[in-house]
Amino acid sequence: MSNNGSKQTAIVRIQRFNPDTDKKPYFQDFRVSITKDTTILDALHEIKTHQDGSLTYRRSCRHAICGSCAMCVNGKHMLVCNVPMKNHLNRKGRVSIKPLTYLPVIKDLVVDRTSFWEQYLRVKPWLIPLEDVPEKEYRISPDEVAALNNAEKCIMCGACYSACTIVGSNKKYIGPHALLKSFLRILDPRDAGVRERLEEVGTDEGVFRCHTIFNCIDACPKKLDPTKAIETLRGLAIKRQAYEAAKRKRQQTIIEPVLVRE
Amino acid sequence: MYKTTGFISFLLRRVTGVALVLYLFAHIWVLGSAVDGPETFDARLNVVQSPFFKIAEIALLAAVLYHGFDGMRLLIVNYFKVTDARKSLFYAVFALSVILVIAGGIPILLFMFEGLGG
Repeated sequence: MSNNGSKQTAIVRIQRFNPDTDKKPYFQDFRVSITKDTTILDALHEIKTHQDGSLTYRRSCRHAICGSCAMCVNGKHMLVCNVPMKNHLNRKGRVSIKPLTYLPVIKDLVVDRTSFWEQYLRVKPWLIPLEDVPEKEYRISPDEVAALNNAEKCIMCGACYSACTIVGSNKKYIGPHALLKSFLRILDPRDAGVRERLEEVGTDEGVFRCHTIFNCIDACPKKLDPTKAIETLRGLAIKRQAYEAAKRKRQQTIIEPVLVRE
Repeated sequence: MYKTTGFISFLLRRVTGVALVLYLFAHIWVLGSAVDGPETFDARLNVVQSPFFKIAEIALLAAVLYHGFDGMRLLIVNYFKVTDARKSLFYAVFALSVILVIAGGIPILLFMFEGLGG
């Protein structure tokens, strides 16, 4: 690693794979001049623009909110758009970038997220409204909103799903991303689908398949806690009928005060 | 493969679990011989007095301790939702297992050397 004032040269080792020409993935080194503010995505742009236009990767917002640029950097999943390259260089000034693990590689750093989205749709991530909808708004307490905060900040980057050891061995597993979303809907007092949701996730393809390895927490760039959500869902799946009754009771109180009655 | 402390604990849990199942077969092989009479039972018991089996007993102790403590760690996480303490709990389980394996392994080794000397 050469260091010239605030600039230095980093060696970016990238896993390359072109299904049309390569039998298996291989690593290629690129030298990039960086400053302390250069992000890993900036370095990838530099390589693609000036060194090898065939380098393929996903990116969009560059503000760590779209989730497109999740990759495996030095063995850890992260969004490469908001992490400075300098923080991830080893003593030799080298950083290793690979596609997300446990997902099929389409080309270079782009993975096939089909199973990720299929499992996401499986839990019906949208809100299923109550039959009686209030005219103006639902009234939810700050405590209830706080309980949902863990799940609401998920940006669907796939870092947790592709870090999960169980996903790596069993593609029928719903996965931490979808279970976190299901947790969001199941705890949401406005949602009417608690029974079907708990029936869907309370199986050996859902919360009971999780082996509590915690990779999802370690991989999440937003520092969310899917494992805690899964543990909560396990408890609710076991006590499903009691939870359904409690939720129905709660739903009466969020509707009644603002319902328009004839 | 995504390697974290969680993955290492999972791997150890699996390996020790399989080892304990295999031990069960050996255990039944020895105890089951009791129905064939005292001579057969003594003969099989003599087989497991060899130094190899004494070392295997220490490995068995390590497997039992780690598997048990790791199970308790998961129960603690499950009931108390202390996912933030996941790494500390893993290190605690590992350290406790190592200490008890040493504490239990020394008498087994002493017994083995005594047997060899005698």
